[in-house]
Amino acid sequence: MSRKGLLRWGGRLTTALTVAGLGLVLLPYFWMLSSSVKTGSEVFDLPIKWLPEAAQWGNYPDALSRGKFPTYFFNSAVVAFAVMAGNLVFCSMAGYGLSKFRFPWREACFRLILSTMMLPIEIILVPTFLVAREFGLVNNYGGLIVPLAVDAFGIFLMRQYIKDLPDSLIEAARLDGCGEFGIFWRIILPNCKPALGALALLTFRDNWDQFLWPLIVASKDTLKTFPLGLAQMEGIDSAAYHEIMAAAVVGMIPTALVFLLFQRAFVRGIALSGLKE
Amino acid sequence: MAESYAPAAKVRPKAGFDDRLPLGAAWGGRLSLRARLRWAGFLFVLPALLHLLIFKFYPMLEAARLSFFRYDLLTPPVFNGLLNYKAIWENPLFHQSFWVSAKYMFGVSLPEWFLALGLALLLNRRMPGQPLIRLAYFLPIAMSQIVVAMVWKFMYNPLGLVNTLLGFVGIGRTNWLSTEETALPALIAIGVWRGIPLFGVIYLAGLQSIPKEYYEAATIDGAGPWQRFVHVTLPLLMPTILFVMVMSLLSAVKVFLNPLVMTEGGPNGTTRVLPYFIYETGFAYYRMGEAAAASMVLFAFVFGLTLIQLRLLRRGGVE
Amino acid sequence: MRRFLVVLVFMAVAVALAAGSASAQGITWWEHSNPPHNKYSQELVADWNKKNPNAQVQYEFFAMTPYFKKLSAALSTRSAADMFTVIDTLLPGFTTKNVLAPIRPEWLGYKDLDDMKKAFLPGALEGYIHEGKLYAVPPIASVFSLYINKNHFKEAGLDPEKDYPRTWEDIAKVGQKLVKRQGSTITREAFDFAMHSSAWTMWYMEALTRQHGGSILDAAGKKCTANSEAGVKAMEVRSMYARKHKISDPTVSVGTNALPADDVPKGRVSMFISHAGSVAQFGPKVMEHIKVVPFPQVNPAKPVSIVYGFALAVNPHIPEAKQKAVHDLIKHVMANPKEWYDKTSYPFPSADFLQLPGMEVAKKTRYLDVFVGDIKTGVFVTRSPHFIEIADAMHRAMERVVLKGEEPKKSLDQACTDIDRALAKK
Repeated sequence: MSRKGLLRWGGRLTTALTVAGLGLVLLPYFWMLSSSVKTGSEVFDLPIKWLPEAAQWGNYPDALSRGKFPTYFFNSAVVAFAVMAGNLVFCSMAGYGLSKFRFPWREACFRLILSTMMLPIEIILVPTFLVAREFGLVNNYGGLIVPLAVDAFGIFLMRQYIKDLPDSLIEAARLDGCGEFGIFWRIILPNCKPALGALALLTFRDNWDQFLWPLIVASKDTLKTFPLGLAQMEGIDSAAYHEIMAAAVVGMIPTALVFLLFQRAFVRGIALSGLKE
Repeated sequence: MAESYAPAAKVRPKAGFDDRLPLGAAWGGRLSLRARLRWAGFLFVLPALLHLLIFKFYPMLEAARLSFFRYDLLTPPVFNGLLNYKAIWENPLFHQSFWVSAKYMFGVSLPEWFLALGLALLLNRRMPGQPLIRLAYFLPIAMSQIVVAMVWKFMYNPLGLVNTLLGFVGIGRTNWLSTEETALPALIAIGVWRGIPLFGVIYLAGLQSIPKEYYEAATIDGAGPWQRFVHVTLPLLMPTILFVMVMSLLSAVKVFLNPLVMTEGGPNGTTRVLPYFIYETGFAYYRMGEAAAASMVLFAFVFGLTLIQLRLLRRGGVE
Repeated sequence: MRRFLVVLVFMAVAVALAAGSASAQGITWWEHSNPPHNKYSQELVADWNKKNPNAQVQYEFFAMTPYFKKLSAALSTRSAADMFTVIDTLLPGFTTKNVLAPIRPEWLGYKDLDDMKKAFLPGALEGYIHEGKLYAVPPIASVFSLYINKNHFKEAGLDPEKDYPRTWEDIAKVGQKLVKRQGSTITREAFDFAMHSSAWTMWYMEALTRQHGGSILDAAGKKCTANSEAGVKAMEVRSMYARKHKISDPTVSVGTNALPADDVPKGRVSMFISHAGSVAQFGPKVMEHIKVVPFPQVNPAKPVSIVYGFALAVNPHIPEAKQKAVHDLIKHVMANPKEWYDKTSYPFPSADFLQLPGMEVAKKTRYLDVFVGDIKTGVFVTRSPHFIEIADAMHRAMERVVLKGEEPKKSLDQACTDIDRALAKK
């Protein structure tokens, strides 16, 4: 077989494997989806029941009526969006500063920032709560959002990505008399679309899933986030798992939507043509 | 084809240039250009830095301080010196948790480093239905953590999906979450299942930043796919690779929801990762001071590990 | 996209600033999530709010497992609710540190504590008393009893009314006829203990150890006695169904079962120990073929069973006047025992509970007399501020014996080492 033919078959095989791998990856999802329309007693039937006897679509409205799910969804959405926005702006700025500038103690700053990711959140829960309280950020949206608005993860990500952007871009803009912030806004950010897309997606997902911090900082039922609502559906030793699965399926939709939205950012090949090396 | 097609790191022009170059009065005329740039850099970092200092670093200092106190959450802390450290050193449960965490960390990260890159390369190719296939592969991270725990617990049931599938390949029925030898590997598998799409997204972003032109140039020079990978992709992807290596360890070290929900740290403590030990000791056993001490040990370990990684990869021209 | 980001940031800031913090009007009440009784609590609150427009109650409930973490964190930062529900096992953790206000029987309409005790079933308040003071008022007294599947019994040629087991040995005997196997795998367990949390393990082990004449901690609560002869026998009973008699599935554990009490309605187990609230959770259809019988004993002449409950506690940091208001709320919540039982199926611990009008029917259809019988012979689990740590050590010991086949004495010795180490700390 010719080299080209081999490559073509290799390509087809890879595609086939990709799709097969998909099947494995998606099996848990399929079980979740099918469980969401089973009756309560069918969910944990063993051996596994793949399809319910009769699809119980009523599980969805039932699940969402337990506790104020529309409110929980709204709260999770607000928190996820706001924190995502905060991270996108502040992390990209910090990443830029840490990678394209030199100032004293720069590396120390970077290590300090990294170190904030190294302690498990449980141990800083109570001190963080006290700090939030000092700022009046307890039991309101501010408390849910502000303490999470910047995360070292984003800073690290953006720093690594911006590092690789050619300095010549920046120098050219300076020569043109562009202000520093202008350079950031008009040159750097547009060239960071893939990283910003990745950061947006991951930050949104992480904060949609916030459980422990909202539990501690808010007590009002109207401020609970979606995972808190989900956890509440479990009693001491009994739970309506079919309804929990239904609620969980609905809970996945926003993250999936955000992913599809930011798909365009993962477009191949940033055109850097017209640039003199 | 020895040289890479990426602009070599060493040949990059310095960030600051000739002081004598005239510039617009963006920052006022007094400061030299170098000083102006220094300030600009710092100001870019400042907002994030302030935020982290207030909401993360200060609480961390508090936790460090608490590690020298006896604190049960409900009554005021009492100074304790190094007794907390002594207590956890003498606690076999702490040692067990430390090793469980170490095993978990490396068990999850190492596969992630390679498999996530493989996934990203795979999804970078043009194929029919690409957006949907990508979405499907990234779905594991869209699932809420609690739901992941519930679903996988059911899948690991002796009569569940995992054993059914393995049965097709002739592997006998294992009681994954109830046997001491298999419980931790079972949890590691879940960590990897979730981690690969997550880091795949990041690798994908990194791959997107490599300009087509370099690949085209390499192909023209006769480079095959493997050589393109080694001489174009890898060097340019280095910052991303460093990120993934550091971050996968950092996020693996903080995991504790799955062991909490799926096995409660069992059987016999074989899945009690260090954050679980810390959470339990602090909030369930009311010994916050000891929990803080354990956190400090964890912190020192992770910080050290990260510094080593940063240094090692600096030699590869990344820093 | 950038403009979009800017707009988002401004929106976020605006929202953050606009939403003010909660104003502290009225009374706040926190509970853990427990579907059967949360609904009734909410009804009580709605009722109170109608009658007391000037002192509205704000009721919140939280997922069970993190609830107590949140409560601890809130108590430590003085931001807890005015009234909150506490489970009896965790009460010593709070009372020994003075983070609960003592209950004033006078404010609840009694002369003093002794007077109040008379209004409750004997011993019902013991679990909530510390150093002579009462710290929480229980609207429920839950107890563990044995649920058996009448159909399985009949199938095996047994009479569920006469042949039900009274002792642990009986369970082994009867179990041989009820268990179903396929080769060496058990397809239907005759009996099993719930494995899904260390608190349940503690309840079982406490009952078994006491029945054998011992206890998990010594009388002063300062030393572990779980590895005494009584304790070893208790562990042997705990593990014998899986290991010796093979009527329990030895692979069942925390990791395998999402819903242990689900096994009863599904018919996967013929006999199962569960609490009084399960009657409502299983539902009338399932209960048609389930019978509840008293908790199994070592010596039926000296019965010991296990009780537990949730109770209403008062925040000590609120002013006197508010504490009085909370007591009024407690009175309101405790006002109607029959309604409590009807709506939640948890027995109410008042002394005259069984004699209330309408209870005759419940005795016949909902096994109320069995539950109350067990409550009367019930003990609360050992009081200790280190309860969770003790429970975890016992749970690990149980796992080693049941899942790995370790020797009970060895396992309990290890547990006692762990427990003594915990008790040694303040």
